[in-house]
Amino acid sequence: MRMIAAIALLVPAAVGVVPVGAHHGWSGYDSSKELTLTGTIKEAGYEHPHGHVRLEVPGKVWLVVLAPPTRMENRGLPAAKLRVGARATVVGYPHRSVEDEMRAERITIEGATVELR
Amino acid sequence: MTPAGGVGWLTSLESTAAATAMRQSLWLYPIVEILHIIGFVVLVGSAAMFDLRLLGLSRQLPVTGMERHLLPWARASALLIVPTGGLMFVAHATEFAGNPAFRLKLILLVAAALNAAAFHFRPFRQVAEWDQGARAPLAARFAAGLSLVLWTGVIACGRLLAYF
Repeated sequence: MRMIAAIALLVPAAVGVVPVGAHHGWSGYDSSKELTLTGTIKEAGYEHPHGHVRLEVPGKVWLVVLAPPTRMENRGLPAAKLRVGARATVVGYPHRSVEDEMRAERITIEGATVELR
Repeated sequence: MTPAGGVGWLTSLESTAAATAMRQSLWLYPIVEILHIIGFVVLVGSAAMFDLRLLGLSRQLPVTGMERHLLPWARASALLIVPTGGLMFVAHATEFAGNPAFRLKLILLVAAALNAAAFHFRPFRQVAEWDQGARAPLAARFAAGLSLVLWTGVIACGRLLAYF
């Protein structure tokens, strides 16, 4: 009880912070607009809860949200393959409100395609 | 990913070793999630079983006996819940702090704690009068109903914060 009450102290600290959009679930992405992008990985995050890459395509850099690292590892996409400078093709859907963000259904690196959902 | 332009103390939380390990270690994050769930299953399960007794179910069981059995477990569960929740928070502090579902969760958590404290300081003081085989007073039943609603809300917000 007292421990829980102590958490109460966190609330005033949390309130007043500018909201930042989270990227979870698929509902935030418009599946009616499938995109296929091929480019160069400029930044790779093999991180929980979802991995990501910044993919440079002609004239634009997309933030591509991938799958949880454990799933990517299990499906044959270890951290070493998701390296900066590698060429990658992603198929996925653009975010409904965040420009330049998309969630990938699958990713192809060095000829190997990994399903991410 | 760590959003840019966060508030100072939040971004410094995100750069701690614990936060980095949470994001980058392959299995730490899911293990912490599992421990968090085990913890709140015990906490909310204890609270719900106690609340149902106050609402009139299993009236043959003494309220004081249930309280002696369940409250220590509820307290101990905080040892699992709080550190694991803290680890998940620091991993994405800026994102969590701005997440409306997370904010509502904290508010409901505080409300649930205050409700439980109010119950212990008010109607529970006279528990001897309605300990067994009797209807609990309205204040106790109200606290029990409110507790069920608040804890349901805490769990719902905890799950939904991944979708906001």
